[in-house]
Amino acid sequence: MSDYVKSSPHFFRIVKLSFVAMIVVLLVLAFFISAPLQGPADISHVPNPSKSAWFLMWTQELVSYTSLMVYLILGLGLVFMFLPWLPISPVADQASWLGKEQKVVNVLVLTSFLGILFLTVVAMYFRGENWSFVFGF
Amino acid sequence: MKRDDDFVKEFVKHLFPRVVLRRNLHLTYTFCLGGLAFTSFLVLILSGALLLFHYQPSTEGAFKSILYIENSVSGGWYIRNLHRLASNFFLILLFLHTLRVLLTGAYRKPRELNWLIGFGLLCLALFEGYTGYLLPMDQLALWATQTGMNLLGTLPFGEFFRSFLVPDDIGQPMSLVRFYVLHIALIPLSMMILCMLHFYQIRKQKGVLPYL
Repeated sequence: MSDYVKSSPHFFRIVKLSFVAMIVVLLVLAFFISAPLQGPADISHVPNPSKSAWFLMWTQELVSYTSLMVYLILGLGLVFMFLPWLPISPVADQASWLGKEQKVVNVLVLTSFLGILFLTVVAMYFRGENWSFVFGF
Repeated sequence: MKRDDDFVKEFVKHLFPRVVLRRNLHLTYTFCLGGLAFTSFLVLILSGALLLFHYQPSTEGAFKSILYIENSVSGGWYIRNLHRLASNFFLILLFLHTLRVLLTGAYRKPRELNWLIGFGLLCLALFEGYTGYLLPMDQLALWATQTGMNLLGTLPFGEFFRSFLVPDDIGQPMSLVRFYVLHIALIPLSMMILCMLHFYQIRKQKGVLPYL
């Protein structure tokens, strides 16, 4: 037990610091970043392109290629959900970043993360009328 | 009052493991991403509760009530900004926390149950963000929700879920009320319960692995 220290005060100091820092960042930024608000909802006025919420845009971009992509999204979700039970995830005995014993998982995670990021950026900034590719800047 | 303070202090203390590994006591170990996300969640609950005093979940009244909050309620614009900003931070921090958990192998056995709880929390957080998108009933809200529903329709059993969420049409009275109830009560409550389970598991497993 000699490697262990009591959470209070050692660990709690970090917890309190991050808690206060987060609150301050949010309270300050809220002064300067306005929540968007467009005109009242009008079902007869369809925007082109019609984009989903930012956190779903990568799925919209994928499905725009073919609706079958939805099975890729579902499959990926299921793989991540049951990841601890897959043979590519050995039982852990030591915490480390990008551990060598889970190489396949590291590649899968980084590829998925960068893919989602890339698709989100494309959908957000490079899609115009009828979902055609445009330069948004 | 002193007794109340002690109670809160003891309660908070019991949410965390009693001891931690000394070598893990630095910010860069986990970047406190889970804790930061939970802090954003608390800000969301508080700012959302304040918005509830003026928001009207009706087709006619929703957009007007948002304008009222923005222009006539003292500090209303600020609370709305805060709510929106905290929601974006919450989702980004949850994504990064998930990424950290995956890349450090913290999801692996014997922590698989907590991984499942966290995965459920991430899905609920996305659903919470989605249901909140419709509530202002502006053009952005209507069409982002409509697009999301079209995506849902492509999923297996998607039409079934769609007909539950949107029994009439997007932004019509029944769908707006369903999104409202899900957004302000059912999803946040489920998330809070899962958060408590998540913390309980961390506390319970503190000795199992050398992770924070």
